[in-house]
Amino acid sequence: MKNLYLMLIAALVIVSCSDTDSLNPVNQTRISDATAFATPQRVGQLVLGMYSGVKVGNFYGGRFLNYQDVRGPEFNNERNNGVTNLFTWNFGVQSSTNEVQNFWSAAYTAINRCNVVIGGLETSPITPELKTTFTAEARFLRALSYYSLLTLYAKPYTQDNGASLGVPLRLVAETSGGNNDLVRSSVADVYKQVIDDLNFAELNLPLTNTTAFNNTTRAHRNTAIALKTRVYLSMGKYPEVITEANKIVSSTAPFTATSGVSNAMVPTIQAAFASAAVTVENVFSFPYGPNDLQGTQNGLVHYYNASSVGGSEYSLAPTSITANTGWKTSDSRRNFNVVLLGKTWLHKWTKSQSDPDFVPVIRYSEILLNLSEALTRSSNSLDARAIQLLNAVRGRSDATTVFTSASFTNVQALLDQIAIERRIELLGEGFSSPDIMRLKQNFPAKGLAPSVSTTDTQYLWPIPLNELLYNKLAVQNPGH
Amino acid sequence: MRLKLKWVFSLLLAISMQFSFAQETTVSGVVSDASGPIPGANVVVKGSKNGVQTDFDGKYSIKAKVGDVLVASFVGMQDVTVKVGTSNTVNFKLQDGSVLEEVVVVGYGTQKRRDVNGAIAKIDGSRIKDIPVQSFDQALSGAASGVNVSQPNGVLGNQAVIRIRGVNSINLSSYPLIVIDGVPSWNGDNLNQSNAVNNPLANINQADIESIEVLKDASSAAIYGSRAAAGVILITTKKGKAGKFSVNFDSSLSFTSPFNLIPLLNAQQFTDIKNEGLKNAGTPANGTTRGFYTMNDANGNLVDTNWNDIIYRTGAATNHSLSISGGNENTKYFLSAGQLEQEGMFVNNSFRRQTGRFTLDQKVNKWLTLGGTFNYTNSRNNGLSTGSTAGNNFASSGAARLAFAQAPNVGPYNNDGTYNLAPTQIGQGNNLSPLQWVNPQYILDTNTFLSKNDHFISNFYIGVKLAKGLNFKSLYGIDNLLVENIDFLGPLNGDGQQFSGSATNTMNRYSRKSIQNILDYSVRLSDKHDLSALLGSERQYTKIESWGASRRGVSDPFFNEYQGNFSAIVASGNLLTENYLESYFGRVNYDYNKKYFASINARRDGFSAFAPDNKWGNFWGGSLGWALTEENFFRNLVSSDIVNQLRLRASYGVVGNNQGLNDFAASSFYDAGVNGTSGSLFFNRAGNQNLTWETSNKTDFGINFGLFNDRLTGELGYYKNDIDGLILSVPQSASAGIPGNSILANVGSMRNTGYEVTLNAKIIDKGNFKWNASVNVTTQKNVVTSLDANNSDIIVATQLENTNIIRVGESIGNFYIVQTGGVNPANGRRIFYYRDGTAVQYDHSNPVTASRWTKVSDGTVTRAANQALDAKVMGPALPTYFGGLDNTFTYKGFSLNFSLYFSGGNYVYNGTQAGLRDQRVWNNSAEVLTRWQNPGDITAIPRIVFGDNVSNGSSMPISDNLEKGDFMKVRNIAFGYSLPQSLLSKLKLTSFRFYVSAQNVFTFTNYSGFDPEISSNGNANGSPSVDRNSAPMARTISMGFNLGL
Repeated sequence: MKNLYLMLIAALVIVSCSDTDSLNPVNQTRISDATAFATPQRVGQLVLGMYSGVKVGNFYGGRFLNYQDVRGPEFNNERNNGVTNLFTWNFGVQSSTNEVQNFWSAAYTAINRCNVVIGGLETSPITPELKTTFTAEARFLRALSYYSLLTLYAKPYTQDNGASLGVPLRLVAETSGGNNDLVRSSVADVYKQVIDDLNFAELNLPLTNTTAFNNTTRAHRNTAIALKTRVYLSMGKYPEVITEANKIVSSTAPFTATSGVSNAMVPTIQAAFASAAVTVENVFSFPYGPNDLQGTQNGLVHYYNASSVGGSEYSLAPTSITANTGWKTSDSRRNFNVVLLGKTWLHKWTKSQSDPDFVPVIRYSEILLNLSEALTRSSNSLDARAIQLLNAVRGRSDATTVFTSASFTNVQALLDQIAIERRIELLGEGFSSPDIMRLKQNFPAKGLAPSVSTTDTQYLWPIPLNELLYNKLAVQNPGH
Repeated sequence: MRLKLKWVFSLLLAISMQFSFAQETTVSGVVSDASGPIPGANVVVKGSKNGVQTDFDGKYSIKAKVGDVLVASFVGMQDVTVKVGTSNTVNFKLQDGSVLEEVVVVGYGTQKRRDVNGAIAKIDGSRIKDIPVQSFDQALSGAASGVNVSQPNGVLGNQAVIRIRGVNSINLSSYPLIVIDGVPSWNGDNLNQSNAVNNPLANINQADIESIEVLKDASSAAIYGSRAAAGVILITTKKGKAGKFSVNFDSSLSFTSPFNLIPLLNAQQFTDIKNEGLKNAGTPANGTTRGFYTMNDANGNLVDTNWNDIIYRTGAATNHSLSISGGNENTKYFLSAGQLEQEGMFVNNSFRRQTGRFTLDQKVNKWLTLGGTFNYTNSRNNGLSTGSTAGNNFASSGAARLAFAQAPNVGPYNNDGTYNLAPTQIGQGNNLSPLQWVNPQYILDTNTFLSKNDHFISNFYIGVKLAKGLNFKSLYGIDNLLVENIDFLGPLNGDGQQFSGSATNTMNRYSRKSIQNILDYSVRLSDKHDLSALLGSERQYTKIESWGASRRGVSDPFFNEYQGNFSAIVASGNLLTENYLESYFGRVNYDYNKKYFASINARRDGFSAFAPDNKWGNFWGGSLGWALTEENFFRNLVSSDIVNQLRLRASYGVVGNNQGLNDFAASSFYDAGVNGTSGSLFFNRAGNQNLTWETSNKTDFGINFGLFNDRLTGELGYYKNDIDGLILSVPQSASAGIPGNSILANVGSMRNTGYEVTLNAKIIDKGNFKWNASVNVTTQKNVVTSLDANNSDIIVATQLENTNIIRVGESIGNFYIVQTGGVNPANGRRIFYYRDGTAVQYDHSNPVTASRWTKVSDGTVTRAANQALDAKVMGPALPTYFGGLDNTFTYKGFSLNFSLYFSGGNYVYNGTQAGLRDQRVWNNSAEVLTRWQNPGDITAIPRIVFGDNVSNGSSMPISDNLEKGDFMKVRNIAFGYSLPQSLLSKLKLTSFRFYVSAQNVFTFTNYSGFDPEISSNGNANGSPSVDRNSAPMARTISMGFNLGL
């Protein structure tokens, strides 16, 4: 009897009921996809998450800007290290090169984050007004990402009015596998989407984000307009550049934005590169901090700085814009050029990689130069306002140089001077390659890196291997 | 004792004579073996319930009738049967058991070898006890067929790579399930590893291990169901034995040093070679901005630093363990303590372990037994960045690479005794061209990596005898591991520089509990039918909680602890995760007359990581066996003196793999981040609700035999593992923007096949002299049969360098390398081949980058060779055979053992050689002196051109660095002497043995690197046989003694 009793207990113990709670544990550190948009607070964080996507180390966190600069003539590679963009510098990239694959992935991951938010907002418990504002921020960031992709993987719009292949246009959230195949839209179609997104953003973004920090680190109306000036300039649509720029640049000096955030140049360029700078000149920057890093060998300070905070990867080439004799030694922008170990280094970024500098994406001086160039090209004359705009930028750092129409023998001379001013003012900020490409110029040789003409295969980056392998509709760029 | 026995014997004899006519009488006697009486032996009347155990003096008494048959048995001994005659005294003399009587631990129980139908290898604890390693896994190489155990390098405590019958997964773990006393334990792959290598298996004192069983086929492993695909290793620790009170003390002293270091250039040679490179590059040393120059120290002597001397050392180790065991019929206990202190061959690499273990088994009454084990280990791993662990191969502070790459013409210190430092690397000395590497001395002195363990392994069981043959056992076990990782990185040079110094502390709690309930029934249905069955359930809860922070920006060089003063703090090492496995399992074993055997195992597992519809899976394995030697027809054919046992077995089953799978693998998640200083949230993981186990279909055939009365025993086996539903990261087009560009899915398949041979021979057994030898050889062939829908290749990296490929039709992890053809004697350039066979050559000295590549045929400029376009699949990377050879000679008290481990049929990618020949500012191996200099020179070293990182394999892997990996290694030699019995009794000892031994004595190989056994990627499945900047192997010389009271 006793045995029977014990046997029963034993049998019961063995088959006792299943622990369904333990079989369905809840992850305590990650938010389930089912509830990600469930509260206004989460939605607010999801919006910031889109910014985080664009500012990763492989994108605006540093590498993307470095690619744009080292393709150009300003920098020499010092480390001969394939990990730190050597093949971008010497035009040796292939479809499997890290830079080519990583930038593409980072940009599309950021784009997908925007698409996920745009889709998820529909069901979120926030006001319709906020939904529209957040959608505008998403579309601004999506436009920035698509524009950035075009600058490396597609032929400049100016070469054939955007008739060549652009990049696949992904406008819907991808959260599960399967939708691998998508054709590359034409350059024109991608630009059209970029402009659509920016127009939507301009209409629906707030005029101001109230704090200086948010006015620099989150998109407002002027941010969208500012980016449009850059995009139209890349397309060679100079009247549109003027239309957009005039919305945020006063007709006469001192040039400032007269509505929305009162963007303007600050008295010294150094102030725009100060620690965590969020001045009115910093129209758009990405913030970083000790808990928000770009990652090893990604940050701009690592690439350009040769002091103990940097990695001494790229020095300013002796043949770079630093050799320009018109760039006076008294010009305060030369203070960024530091001589160490017999070489010159760009020290625009100086903070430790464990608490990095903010990364400037749009500064007000760029808009002035965009406008100056557009006015000149559009009118094909020595436009007085164009020269004033040029002087505004030059004069801020070098009061001793003042250009007049007499300074220029012809329109091309003014355009050349504007180009020189862009190279000086925006040195190391990612403008070198796009400026060469939109003007259909060749890349000059520097150091051991060869020159590359507009018809060379390496003029464009290849479409990355990890796209071609799995997207059966993707086509490689010619020659790659 | 002997006298007492004689007295008892006489007394018994007298009694038996008096009552010899009784119908049912009490039979008594003594059960003994060669060394004396055996307490706790069983004596039963055959075919009845009637059975007793012998007492402390080996005596028994039992009621029996004349004509009954008494059977005496004891673990590990052959049964002896005696028919009760007229005498009331029956004495049994047991002999060491045949192999068939050996007790084998199986999943949730034990069996006699005779009844085992599956493929199970048993390794006795005594075999590995005195081997000078940090953990038992490192001592297993070559010990059993089908079990390949290799040591990735000589870094202290590095977990051995264990593969049971091949690589059994691609993305999940191929590491076997390790079960310690019934509770699955943690291994190094489960841990959040820092540079201080931490292997939880090292928390088990080798001296506490009774036996190690390896379950290789489905029949034996299926009872572990969803975790059995890579095999199961059962660790059984020592328990007390009734009556045999014993005290054992083991002590040893050992010395460890690296072996097969590669000779390097000295300061003058380095200076000359680098200047020659500058000259050849067209940029000769000019004394002002460029060039390499030696320097003198304060005493005017040339600075000539051999960095090997600064980074490596001879490390000393001591190991002590003390155990007490004993008991009686009702109470058995085992108590042990151990202390190991070991220095590694790297300066700053050390390991300390303190262990305590207590085991108690208490028979409460006829039907109830209680017992348990309590094990506590405190261990400390002091490590350093060696560049020798997976994913760290190119660590810029990796000591193994620094040792050979740092310039020898500068020293660690300045003349004033301060560190020789430049802003981001070592100080220049007189060199004008910038040096690259950090100062190893500063790194060694300043950077610390400490991993401290508190490890509790404990279980408690209740055993209830419900009826004859029917037992119930309930076991509750915990395996809790608390790991504290403490790292400091100095601010002036190396990894800590970007943070201006950082101190990172993390606390990691790995907790597991397991509750098992098992009903076990065995019955003899008649004389010929034996049936046993087992039914059980198990619940296993696992949780990992880690948290920590990194403090950065040290305010003063004085501070090197987390608690010091720093300017910033960021979170580090946070993890909170859990999983749950719920299981029901059963087993039926049947044999007919010990002639025909059949068994079936089954398990149903529910695992929390999968989506609700896919949580449950069924696994099973079945086997059949046939003991030919029990057949009359066979006996008529072959004499039992020639073939004493011969048995055929076959098994098949389906088991699973979930080891290494993320605990929330099926789910989609949004993750939190920081944007500047504000919280952000973003889509970061695309899950797959259809995800389920990988399944392994295992087939096994085997023959076990014993010849000449077990003088020669062995086993021949064949295995086939067909693995389906491999969980792979299925790549998505990058433009889809899926985080990580991939989603896990069950898509791939793979097959492992091979043969196993094991032979054990008592070659000489003549009185005092004995020679026993055993050899095992296993072949393995792996083929990947499918991957994702496109069968896309998976390129596998050795951190920064793509070295291996997983391709359908190839063996897993074959190399993906550009073919090269040595050095062109005409011009000293490395010859590379395009995939189409075109020979091209590289000249780093051409100032125009675009013109460096030319065709060998006509010298025309051509495109650069590169891995994406030109790499070919080469291999195999996995050894096609491996095995061990073990010889033991004993003469009187002397014993000599040597164990060999061999492996081969594969190639090893010697990536370290690329570094040793790299023509940047790195130092080179001395063979670089044989460089090409003049047309017609035949050499392996291309013309030296400063800055050349292409010709020798630094920018892409080249086949000139691919070498055959065949080797035979003298793994261990041990010579010992045991004191004779006569002397022992005078000293009042039961045993005393003194020994000297050497581990990793010598390697026979043609491999030119440190050692062909090196594996830079450790346990990674897809990138075997890569030697990239890894530390060399360690050789250990040890001496010690075992003392028994």
